[in-house]
Amino acid sequence: MKSLVAFTKKERVEQARSGKLLIIGIMFVLMGVMNPAIAKMTPWLLEMLSESLEKIGMTVTQISVNALDSWQQFYKNIPMGLIAFLLIEGGIFTKEYESGTLVLSLTKGLERYKVVVSKALVLIALWTVGYWLCFVITYGYNACFWDNSVAQNLILSAVNWWVFGLFILSLTVFFSVLSKSNSAVFGGVGGSVLALYIISLFPKLKEYSPLMLADGNSLIFGLKEIKAYSTAVCITIVLSALCFAASIPIFNKKQL
Amino acid sequence: MSVLRIEGLCKSFGDKEVLKDLELSVPEGSVFGLVGKNGAGKTTTMKIALGLLKADAGEIALDGEKVIYGQTASNRHIGYLPDVPEFYSFMTAQEYLYFCGDISGIEKSEAKKRSAELLDLVGLAGERHRIKGFSRGMKQRLGIAQALLGKPKLLICDEPTSALDPVGRKEILEILSSVKEQTTVLFSTHILSDVERICTDIAFINEGVIHTQGKLSDIKSKRRTNEYFLETERAADVQKLSEAFPKAVMRGANTLSFGERDYSLFEVLGFVAENKIQLLKVERAEPSLESLFMEVLGK
Repeated sequence: MKSLVAFTKKERVEQARSGKLLIIGIMFVLMGVMNPAIAKMTPWLLEMLSESLEKIGMTVTQISVNALDSWQQFYKNIPMGLIAFLLIEGGIFTKEYESGTLVLSLTKGLERYKVVVSKALVLIALWTVGYWLCFVITYGYNACFWDNSVAQNLILSAVNWWVFGLFILSLTVFFSVLSKSNSAVFGGVGGSVLALYIISLFPKLKEYSPLMLADGNSLIFGLKEIKAYSTAVCITIVLSALCFAASIPIFNKKQL
Repeated sequence: MSVLRIEGLCKSFGDKEVLKDLELSVPEGSVFGLVGKNGAGKTTTMKIALGLLKADAGEIALDGEKVIYGQTASNRHIGYLPDVPEFYSFMTAQEYLYFCGDISGIEKSEAKKRSAELLDLVGLAGERHRIKGFSRGMKQRLGIAQALLGKPKLLICDEPTSALDPVGRKEILEILSSVKEQTTVLFSTHILSDVERICTDIAFINEGVIHTQGKLSDIKSKRRTNEYFLETERAADVQKLSEAFPKAVMRGANTLSFGERDYSLFEVLGFVAENKIQLLKVERAEPSLESLFMEVLGK
């Protein structure tokens, strides 16, 4: 237990001293501010453009925005946030393989599973804090400018997206213990998402796909019932747990 | 009593056989030099002993405990220094040693005490900078400190001196010979002068097979076939000598050497006297490790 704590602490210090913590923090805060800001600026932007729009035959009438527009921005931007998060953190395992820093720790008797658990915990913690920080900031501005109650199932849709993020992290860990290079990790995660996307093209399979969780807009606009998501949520949680669990025996047999 | 015993070890990478039925036994309290040229299998042997590589066949016991690939429990007996040790560069030397103490389950107070002692031993006691700015020599010294932290029974160093300048090499060798009271040292190298300087035991490894192993002094005395060097005043005389004694080897413009198994010294000196050859020097040479090593390599 002591060594697990020590290794996790090392990860935490590394995140802080390498500046990754700061970058991720700034990124999620900025995104949180941008969602309502873009919504708020939409009428003004369109007004600015109204003259040129009129020339091509479009008339700008009075536009009103509300919290839903801001939440729509949230679900539009958060995938970018997750991708940026992965670009920053995707090398959490492979960087150590490449530099050979793990060798000394492991030859000191540190059990291998603790490496996987520590790194997974740090990824989950960073994602959770960053994501909810972004959510809370957007929520706060929305409450100030408009009224959040127009968005239906708001918390549930946000939890769905957070779980989807965890699923992507589980894939990241899984492909990190399988492969040796950063690009292979990105390829693996990207390939998996692409495969899920193709599966989702079949209407019958769509409701089983973890990608369904990333569709927050349908929930807040009340286009779908929360019940419609239950299967996908269960499948995503099970898949994530499997990916995390499988990573340990694979890492145990990995040649370093 | 052996700290490390390797029996019948085999390992291939693809169709390249790196270790062929390797047998090695490192006696307790020795400074053991594993000598071989690059690619002879030294690093592979060490990595298998550390459970970092999977062996195709064979058994390894560390202080009587079997080494299992992927399980690192047996590593608590070992301190390991890789050829180019890599540390978390965002830490300071002291932080790194504390981290090592924590992950190997050493009590905090003990780790603090040990770290201070070891940093002092390797000359990094006053170093407050992060490892990022360390030179190779400093990293190598920190490498020794981290390897010794857990008071290991065996310190394994993979070519600890080969990437260093002469000053760095001297420092590392001094540190290694100063720790031999505390632990058994196994180190691989291809620098023979390092071996002669600090080793008590050696093994020659070539193409994945151990050729000779034992006490350095025993090996040297067993192989003691005297070799003589003759230096003449004129180069032409060396020619004359080498024609008369064809098994002798030319060692320079006016130097030549021969082994006692080929010709007796008196036979050669008789020829020298008969032909009135002016000599500058007659020397009896000890068998050098280099000549032993060349013999092992079959050259």
